[in-house]
Amino acid sequence: MRIFKNLIQALRGLKLNRGNTLLMTLGVMVGIASLTVIVAIGFGIKVKVLDRISNLGFGPESFSVMAGAGKMFFSRSKNTTSMSLQDAEDLLALPTVRLVVPRQRKRMQIINKKEFTSTRVYGVTPDWQRARGWQVVDGVFLSDSDLDRKKKVVVLGATPVRKLFKDTDPIGKMVRLQNNYYEVIGLLQEKGLTESGYDPDDRALIPLTTSMSRLTHETHLHSIKVVTLDASQVPKTMEAVKRVLRRNHNLSILSEDDFRFVTPEGIMEWVTESAQAMNRMLILISTVSLLVGGIVIMNILLVSISERVREIGIRRCFGARKSDITLQFLFESILVSLLGGILGIGLGLSISFGLKRLDILPTQVTWEPFVLSFVFCTLIGLIFGIHPARKAALMSPEESIRS
Amino acid sequence: MSLIEMNSIYKSYRNIGFETQVLNDITLHINEGDYVSIIGPSGAGKSTLMAIAGCLSQPTSGEYILDGEEVGKLGDRKLSQARNEKIGFVFQAFHLLPGVTALDNVILPLVYSRKISSDIKERAREVLAKVGLEHRLHHTPGQLSGGEQQRVTIARSLINNPPIILADEPTGNLDSENGKETMKTFDRLVKEGKTIVLITHDSEVAEHADRIISIRDGKIASDTKQQLTKASVI
Repeated sequence: MRIFKNLIQALRGLKLNRGNTLLMTLGVMVGIASLTVIVAIGFGIKVKVLDRISNLGFGPESFSVMAGAGKMFFSRSKNTTSMSLQDAEDLLALPTVRLVVPRQRKRMQIINKKEFTSTRVYGVTPDWQRARGWQVVDGVFLSDSDLDRKKKVVVLGATPVRKLFKDTDPIGKMVRLQNNYYEVIGLLQEKGLTESGYDPDDRALIPLTTSMSRLTHETHLHSIKVVTLDASQVPKTMEAVKRVLRRNHNLSILSEDDFRFVTPEGIMEWVTESAQAMNRMLILISTVSLLVGGIVIMNILLVSISERVREIGIRRCFGARKSDITLQFLFESILVSLLGGILGIGLGLSISFGLKRLDILPTQVTWEPFVLSFVFCTLIGLIFGIHPARKAALMSPEESIRS
Repeated sequence: MSLIEMNSIYKSYRNIGFETQVLNDITLHINEGDYVSIIGPSGAGKSTLMAIAGCLSQPTSGEYILDGEEVGKLGDRKLSQARNEKIGFVFQAFHLLPGVTALDNVILPLVYSRKISSDIKERAREVLAKVGLEHRLHHTPGQLSGGEQQRVTIARSLINNPPIILADEPTGNLDSENGKETMKTFDRLVKEGKTIVLITHDSEVAEHADRIISIRDGKIASDTKQQLTKASVI
């Protein structure tokens, strides 16, 4: 009953001191809004990365070897030319390796008469299809003879097909890459956009040999995908691959690898690591922003109390206990925090959706910020309200009505 | 039995090394139903005496017994309860909560009352009607005249039905018309059995009481009963 009565008094206090209430609410609102947005962005990026990884076409029994030292997708050295077709052949010779897919990759314009679009062009071998298990819906995939004869043929993903051919059947038509015309011999099954907006269908595949002689004019490979007999063979195979490549590239004991591994576990580890780093950053930023909100509340409450000394004195004269005054001001602080929290979540959500809609940043709205905000707001109200509330309660009633 | 019993009350304030003696050996007994004026020039210690009588501050030394309870031994809970149930304050500066309606201002003591009553608003209306403000229930202090504000204050002091009304310069901020009106209200309350302690520096106001205690330099200078004057006022 006492608690309820003081809650009512707190509500009245907030209503009467609208200016201060507004400022305090604003302080918490900004804090919670930034928390909501930051968490949404964090989750958005995480989802996007995870999604991108799941679309790399990795099974648990395969991994990639990329040319150039570095880690994961980030190469420290550009234009590493040491990885060759010979490496791919030597790797295939390893007892635990089932398939290898040597690969070159280049983004470029693909043109059909007046229509053109930019797509990822890969030079691959027929084993690419077996390694990824990606079906051809129309026509055929690249064959060994296409490779041997460096034929100018192309297998298209659904996205360039849509952009270049509209309604007409692309099989047998010619498309231009740089100065050469390629015959469309097959169409890949459409996979559709992933949740994060990555388009796996945005690709064109040509024979690796054709790519080397006509497109990139490079004889080295950009990466080799290795498929082992089964997942348990992966660590052992990686060791063997490392030995073969170091020997083939004539690397001395002292020099570091001029290639790097991309494995499902490696990616997961990397993602987890970056997610952890990101979470740490999120927690830090959120804590700071909420701390700021809390300090704003505390300061405004302190100011508010010195403006309301007389009110406190009057209440004490008519029977309010110290604990009544404490409760009232604590309630004011908690109510303001919660109000600010609710408004902050609203603002944060709008900003998150806005960022996503306007394609500025990937955001993902989850339930965590709501629970977090609720807990944090109550805590902030309590922690930063207790000092002003005690201060108000401990004032002598005689002095406070005289002020 | 005395309702207010003060024995050798001393009060001093310490201010950066200086000690100011405000009350100097005050012994005072006020019985139930008494109508007492405490008069004296400013700085004589009247307000300090009232703060002690109203349990708003504690004496430096001495014993204050309010309605049989020794106030010095009470904790915050009991002190608050005493202020809530035994005393109704009327201030010179009104001390109404700004922005709050007359009705809600009058209800304030009930907010902190132990007694749970369902008809709070009804009681507040009755008390406000008693002081002639039934048409101003939802006005805030800023919308009321000085006299009306003082009447809200009196209504507030009465709502919890305390035996004692402590009034500190109740007419100080009022014109003579409203001052007289306020004094009439006090005269009426005494007849209803309230004990009234009136603090003033105005001898004309003090004359309303049955007993005039004059304070000078923290000491009781005189304490006179005056049956005749009261009769003439009535």
